[in-house]
Amino acid sequence: MAGFLLRRLAASLLLLLLVVSFIFFLVRHVPGDPANFGESSRLTATQRHHLHELYGLDRPLGAQYLDWVSSVILRFDWGTSLSQQRPVSAALLDALPATSLLAVAGLAVEYTLALLLGIAAARRPGSGIDHAIRTGGLLFFSLPLFWLGLMAILLFSYLWPVLPSSHMVSVDADTLSPTGRYLDIGRHLVLPALVMGFGVGGGTARYVRSRMIEVLSQDYIRTARAKGLSERRVLWVHALRNAAVPIVQVIAVTLPLVFSGALLIEVVFSWPGLGLLTFNAILTRDYPLILGSTTFSATLVILANFAADLLHAWLDPVVRGE
Amino acid sequence: MLAAAILFTAGCRREPKPVGDTATGTPHRGGTVVTGWPSEPGGVNPYILPASQPTSEMLFRLFLHLMEEQSDFDKHPPTFKPELARSYEWSADHKTLTFHLRDDVVWSDGVPVTADDVRWTWQAQISKDVVWEGAESKQSITDVEAVDPHTVRFHFSRVYAKQFLDANEGSVLPKHAWEKLPFAQWRKSGDWFKQHLVVDGQFTISSWQPQQQVVLQRNERYYEKGFPRLDRVVMRIVPSQSAGLTQLLNGEIDFLPQIAVGDVKRAQAAPQVQLIALWFNIYVAVGWNNANPLFQNPEVRRALTLGIDRKTIVETLLGPYGRVADSPVLTMVWAHDRSLAPLPYDPAEAKRILAAKGWKDTDGDGVLDKGGKPFSFELITNAGNQLRIDATVMIQDQLKKIGVKAVPRQVEFNTMASQTRDGSFEAVVIGFAMDTSLDMTGNYHSKSIADGSNFVRFRNPEMDHLLEVAESQPDVSAERPYLDQIQQLVHREQPVTFLWESQRLTAVNKRVKDVRPTLASSFFNLKEWWVEPKP
Repeated sequence: MAGFLLRRLAASLLLLLLVVSFIFFLVRHVPGDPANFGESSRLTATQRHHLHELYGLDRPLGAQYLDWVSSVILRFDWGTSLSQQRPVSAALLDALPATSLLAVAGLAVEYTLALLLGIAAARRPGSGIDHAIRTGGLLFFSLPLFWLGLMAILLFSYLWPVLPSSHMVSVDADTLSPTGRYLDIGRHLVLPALVMGFGVGGGTARYVRSRMIEVLSQDYIRTARAKGLSERRVLWVHALRNAAVPIVQVIAVTLPLVFSGALLIEVVFSWPGLGLLTFNAILTRDYPLILGSTTFSATLVILANFAADLLHAWLDPVVRGE
Repeated sequence: MLAAAILFTAGCRREPKPVGDTATGTPHRGGTVVTGWPSEPGGVNPYILPASQPTSEMLFRLFLHLMEEQSDFDKHPPTFKPELARSYEWSADHKTLTFHLRDDVVWSDGVPVTADDVRWTWQAQISKDVVWEGAESKQSITDVEAVDPHTVRFHFSRVYAKQFLDANEGSVLPKHAWEKLPFAQWRKSGDWFKQHLVVDGQFTISSWQPQQQVVLQRNERYYEKGFPRLDRVVMRIVPSQSAGLTQLLNGEIDFLPQIAVGDVKRAQAAPQVQLIALWFNIYVAVGWNNANPLFQNPEVRRALTLGIDRKTIVETLLGPYGRVADSPVLTMVWAHDRSLAPLPYDPAEAKRILAAKGWKDTDGDGVLDKGGKPFSFELITNAGNQLRIDATVMIQDQLKKIGVKAVPRQVEFNTMASQTRDGSFEAVVIGFAMDTSLDMTGNYHSKSIADGSNFVRFRNPEMDHLLEVAESQPDVSAERPYLDQIQQLVHREQPVTFLWESQRLTAVNKRVKDVRPTLASSFFNLKEWWVEPKP
């Protein structure tokens, strides 16, 4: 097990280094300049040069890369955001709770939906319910998240105004009690979490369905039923447990989707997370912030995959080579 | 740069009538107004921030200028109302400008605002470490002298038209609170300025939630007693324009500084919403890259203008909220040359000129060619700006009729800015902001090709001379004859094809009274806004 762990850890670190190096050079080759201050900018060429000097952008790209990598690895210093003039780490830490909350809530909606619908469809393959769930799942999975978001706003904030259309807090949030603030955040979370959950949950439900159908056809399920176990116990304990291993892996695989989805959701709902932060950083060519946020996201995704591998190995001895 | 952003808008404003039934109501003190903005203000230090409307609007309510520029730019150069300075006077040689400061203005921590603040602000503005975007406006100011706590004297190296504007540009910052941080550290200051914020304007900041909202709260030490009337103004960040309109319609937001022309009907259908239309300080044009062999000849550029049906473009895209532009000095500005008329849509004449210049369709493919090269170019504009994108498609269609092939392409803004700056473009549909000073050196002087905003690379000795003579006049009003000649030259040479001037449509909930935006500022008279008390 220790050897497996070390191999996977080394592979994950190498992958991370490759990803951030690729992002570093890719971003720097995209046309644009952090000193582009808008259509009415009066920045002179001399001032632009001064800014480049100040930010170290006038140095060879290789030297900038080595500086950045060494400061991140040796000093945990992610640099200073050019657009916000504050440490990248501070900007990321400010945005992380919002994205985490959205991701957790979105995943909760996605998997609750996927398990309920996937199992319901798997119980009677080929039935009307099965067809409806598969078609509905495909439909939601196919619709762009931003469009789903706009439709949700139109329905639940305008035509039937029961939920706030955007932001994480109300205008008067700072006057609320601590409990009131949590409830306020909860109200604001409903729409983006539902949109994210429904948007990706349809695909996951189809996956759960196919895994459950496969498991339900196994001999041990027939044996469990023959022993007189209730259908509920057969489904939720015996079948689901055995279908869980690949489903857990799907969580890790869909995590990048959650982050890329969060970007769209955060822009549509003005949700103050990493997605919105990255979006603005890209528009302003805030190189340190782009690198910080993408590296941060890549690290989370790689860690999640690493964790999924560990879990898989723990659940399946064949994987860990025993 | 903040000042620059405001300044360029200031030149072209005309005050609209206030909205709201002010005649039947008595102004009330208190209440909160929620406003929606497409992006978050960048920070609180104007000299290290890229110009953006939310940043400018907020900072103008936090910090005072020496004088406040007024919205009377249609008949004469703008006048100025006392703000931090109660009066000013010129020396006989017009090289020294003395401001007398009010003695009742204090920072929000109780420290008086003095001439030392003005002098220290000037030092920050010209510092090479600060790299303020508007620093060029201070290059002819040799010294700012604090004569006594309430007298400050600006010394100029020469006499020129923009002296007063240049002296007044930029808000005054709190020396006692901010001098602790050396200029060299300003651009890596993080939240330092927010944490050490003291203000002398109408509002201060009570809370700042990143990417969400900034809450402005009345500055109780503001020098004008009884103002501002509102307790709080919330600047809510709403990046999506459609989401902003939805929030306005469902009452979450009271004020949107700008809505799209396409949203007008939806907004007008809401009984609680009122629209205010103001002519923008920006004209949109096709910038031809004058250094490109295709566009080097003024007659060819003129033919291209004749081949574009601008009236149809404006009527289709803007309806009653736009008009065809014909000059770099906007129509509502005092110095606009009214003898100029937009070139007509005349495809036959356009074809004739192009033929005379050797452009003929020799291979019968519908596209003119000369020396084996087709008259074909890429017409870029910034992605996300639907008006301009639609315009490029219409221009493509219209130019096709005269045998010219334009290929529209959308480019992300930052990429477009780099392309226009380094000249790696052929033609671009872009907005040009107009300055109160009406100084067009940046856009049309040949020296501004290498270091300025002359990205169309227009090079004309007569233009250079006219711009220099105009700029050296003792005041802006004396520039008039030269401004006329400059406009006529632009009209003749067509370095750009003017497309339109448009109106900015501001939407306000009628519960907010006495809202009077100008082109200088959506928040222009924010201190006078008020809301009915809740029953």
